[in-house]
Amino acid sequence: MSADPATGRATSVVTRLDDAWVTIVWNDPVNLMSYVTHVFESYFGWARVKAERKMREVHEKGRSVVSTGGREKMEVDVQAMHGYGLWATMQRSGE
Amino acid sequence: MKAFRARRGVAVAELDHEERTVVARIVADVGLLLGGEVFGMERAPWEAESSQDLLEYLTNFESHLAEPDDPAILRLLPNAAPTDREAADEFRRYTEPDLRTLKVARLRRIWAELCEDGPRWEVAEGEAMDTAAALTDVRLVLASRLGIETDEDAQRLHAEAALASSAGDVVDRERVWLGMLYEALTWLQDSLVAFVMGEEADDE
Repeated sequence: MSADPATGRATSVVTRLDDAWVTIVWNDPVNLMSYVTHVFESYFGWARVKAERKMREVHEKGRSVVSTGGREKMEVDVQAMHGYGLWATMQRSGE
Repeated sequence: MKAFRARRGVAVAELDHEERTVVARIVADVGLLLGGEVFGMERAPWEAESSQDLLEYLTNFESHLAEPDDPAILRLLPNAAPTDREAADEFRRYTEPDLRTLKVARLRRIWAELCEDGPRWEVAEGEAMDTAAALTDVRLVLASRLGIETDEDAQRLHAEAALASSAGDVVDRERVWLGMLYEALTWLQDSLVAFVMGEEADDE
């Protein structure tokens, strides 16, 4: 949670707990492990090690939460994942 | 067929005439499935010859906004929020036209590349991930047609393809043919992603 430097107030209004959503990427038998790793690297800007760890989580556990935030931001992330052909969904955090 | 290799910063694969024809054909088929027109015969909607054509175009456009019936299309444009109908519908309404346009444009570009003369298929570094993504879309459609839903299904197909290329009598020719195409595209995509990730040294 970041603080607004001008007012010093936490800008938590836009990320209230009940507004928190998550983007989940699900395992699928088609996408290559290397491809998924590189999508994570290039879209989320993660280092290779983190991208591979999240890819393995998807592959071995069947799913991984790849981002958290407001619904509109999650829509952007899910759309991007669908653009790459990854199977992604969004839901309220904690559901 | 030769997999993609780095040559002077460009990814280059080699496909003979028949291989190019087959791959271009399935690429065009997936474009058509996504609502693009027949590649090479496009006509903008405003050039529709009669109001009937325009009506047909609009009907198609509207039908795209409902959840697709075809499981292959549903895999290309999945339900974004299975636990929240309202969020899922809104997502589809706002994003689906753009996603279809993006996917069709990528497929159309690689179709045009495959229609060029000569065996070399050259992909510039800046277009490599787009090309890999288009290959994913084609593989997703083939996988849906082949009933590949789990990692085990994919492994079984791999074994079947290996068996079919050594055995003479084949029970289901279409399945074997689609399976071999799927395997070939997997191999091509794998080599292209390796190029993107810089795992292969430039050989020249």
